[in-house]
Amino acid sequence: MKFKFLLLLLLSLFVIVGCNPTNTDVSSGGEDDTETETETETETETGGDDPEEVNLQLWHIEDGPSGEAVQAAVDRFEEANPGVSVEVSKQENDPYKSKLVVAMGGGNPPDVFHSWGGGWLEQFVQAGQVKEITNDIDQDIYVEAALSASTYDGKVYGAPVSMAVVPVFYNKEIFEEYNLEEPETYEDLLAIVETLDSNGIIPFSLANQSKWTGSFYLMYLAERIGGPDLFSEAFNRTGRGFDDEAYIEAGHKLQELVKMNAFPEGVNGMNYDTGQSRQLVYSGKAAMELMGNWYVNNVREEMPDFEEKLGFFLMPAIEGGQGEKNHVVGGVAPVFSVAETSDHKDLATELVKELASVATATDMANNAGDVSALIGVEYKDPYVQEIAAVLENSEFMQTYYDQTLPPELATVHLDTTQALFGLSMTPEEAMAEVEAKAKELLD
Amino acid sequence: MQKSLGETSTQKSLSLNTSTKAMRKRREILTIIGFMAPALIIYGVYVVYSIGMTFYYSLFEWSGIDNNFSFLGLDNYVRLLQDGVFWVSLGNNSLLLGASLLTQLPLGLIMALLLFSPVKGMRLFRSVYFMPFLMSTVAIGILFVFIYDGNFGLLNDLLGMVGLESLQQSWIGKESTAIWAVIATVCWQFAPFYMILFRAAIVGIPEELYEAANIDGAKPLQRFKNITLPLLMPIIITSAILSIIGSLKYFDLIYVMTMGGPNNSTELMATYMYKQTFTNFNMGYGSTVSFSMFIIAFIVTLFILIGERKRRGVE
Repeated sequence: MKFKFLLLLLLSLFVIVGCNPTNTDVSSGGEDDTETETETETETETGGDDPEEVNLQLWHIEDGPSGEAVQAAVDRFEEANPGVSVEVSKQENDPYKSKLVVAMGGGNPPDVFHSWGGGWLEQFVQAGQVKEITNDIDQDIYVEAALSASTYDGKVYGAPVSMAVVPVFYNKEIFEEYNLEEPETYEDLLAIVETLDSNGIIPFSLANQSKWTGSFYLMYLAERIGGPDLFSEAFNRTGRGFDDEAYIEAGHKLQELVKMNAFPEGVNGMNYDTGQSRQLVYSGKAAMELMGNWYVNNVREEMPDFEEKLGFFLMPAIEGGQGEKNHVVGGVAPVFSVAETSDHKDLATELVKELASVATATDMANNAGDVSALIGVEYKDPYVQEIAAVLENSEFMQTYYDQTLPPELATVHLDTTQALFGLSMTPEEAMAEVEAKAKELLD
Repeated sequence: MQKSLGETSTQKSLSLNTSTKAMRKRREILTIIGFMAPALIIYGVYVVYSIGMTFYYSLFEWSGIDNNFSFLGLDNYVRLLQDGVFWVSLGNNSLLLGASLLTQLPLGLIMALLLFSPVKGMRLFRSVYFMPFLMSTVAIGILFVFIYDGNFGLLNDLLGMVGLESLQQSWIGKESTAIWAVIATVCWQFAPFYMILFRAAIVGIPEELYEAANIDGAKPLQRFKNITLPLLMPIIITSAILSIIGSLKYFDLIYVMTMGGPNNSTELMATYMYKQTFTNFNMGYGSTVSFSMFIIAFIVTLFILIGERKRRGVE
């Protein structure tokens, strides 16, 4: 009896071990697992014996034309470095974030990896996992604002390829049908929302299960109300905080939009990666979507016919607010960095230089609609010319909160913003929670 | 002299006898250990050692990607007790546990019984019923995200067709319905698993018992109550244990369907652990959540086992 009891106990322990952190990478999905397996296999095959044969691993998240641009850069690199082969592994956006953490923690990261600069990359830099490349790259070929996203204390840890701006994309056909024009003021925008809603069209499409998508609205509203310095004051703890009136007002404006039916039913259950928000736009059920200019890349890959209907405008200024229409939310991506633990750091640095080159940036600009982070790219694509002009004319670029803030604070920001969309929190509560976390982490 | 010699020799043979016995016993033990060693080693390394290390990490503040450990003692556990999200996730785990016990097992049993009814084409139904369990969890998750979609989802369309427009909503986009939508999906996925277990057990019940009951004039319900159910009891208890432990450490569908959102309303202990560890770079605190999960599951298992022992004692 006693023995049986013990045996059952042991068996039950077996069942329980699922909660152990050692086997968590199971969750990264079957496909990826087999991928990494084959990667390590080839590595052991090629590494060691033959000094000529070097294998580098590259993790990136670029789809479609951007992905082809990355592949083209890899091909150029392999051609220039005979005997070196690059194992390219394309990851999905959201799972990638945790997969790289697991790889870094397990001491087996890829030689070259993608990031968005900002607070996320800084975590790895502070952990001593990223190689400093200040003197390896030619800093003069990059746009200063872009390079600053991966520069910490004057040291450069990543090379940027492209930049992105977040405008409002809209369906020109729908706007024509209801005699709407691109809004000049926030009042205009609210009027557009009203007209569309009363005609049974969803004004803004949004897939907010992904959370960073909804954060765009809060970032814009906060900037339009509190001005360009609001975020940096709150982040650097040099003035207004995250519970400042401007933030609370932004929260109220956001919930006002929600109450006006500006967003589809159940935004918080829709996922951007699986295309749930874009389906609404493509099918004409929704008229606008606030999204980074990679949206053009999505459209070209998923519904090329839609491109001719696609227009964009910038989020208008709010009367009485301190922000301007030509202040944009944006960011840098991709940024490529070298892992400190890489066995071939010099070669990996060369690969980064090839990836973050004018050639790659040109490919991405002309095929994927990205704005180059490198100086001297000629834009053929009319979209990119327009967007590049927007960036050139903008007086201020607000980088994405969730990539600038330390991850734990970013999580709170994203969760509370999602709650604002769900009307399950008041702006006062939401902003107080962010400020409390900021006090804990930043002060 | 001779006598005494004989005495000592018998004594010798006696002691020899006992020593061979002891040797045989020792060999037996060695054989047992030899057979168990491979399993024990794997068990020790991957289970006992990992549980120990989880507890060890839970005493530190550690990001998981560097070498900066700072010792906190039990501070992480104090923080856990004051962490609202952890309590929400524990509540959700309990909901899932209750729903699993109350729907998966009965549903599995009903489906298993249906498979024995003399209807034509039962073979087809057996495959159809089992289908959900054969699908990959990620596929199920994405499928149901589309079914539950508020704008063009299948569920809302169905409700509209039967005139229940008032019930149409975004099922996983609202905090109040999201957890139930996911729980329904989990039950849909796992009920077939219990169906197969129960079916196997029902096949094992001797036909003679039913024949005897028929002769005694027992009605179908009586046959079920007095023959099928009591003989199924052991397998029902095993299924209950599997279901309880499974619910306490559940992760997959939540990760695929809601990522714990909206606003943490569908967070489970396992997804919260994942979020803390890999999104927020809190390996130390994540380990605390993880170890607490272990303790909770362990205590629950202990209770079940004690209850099971008592029940056997009564019989």
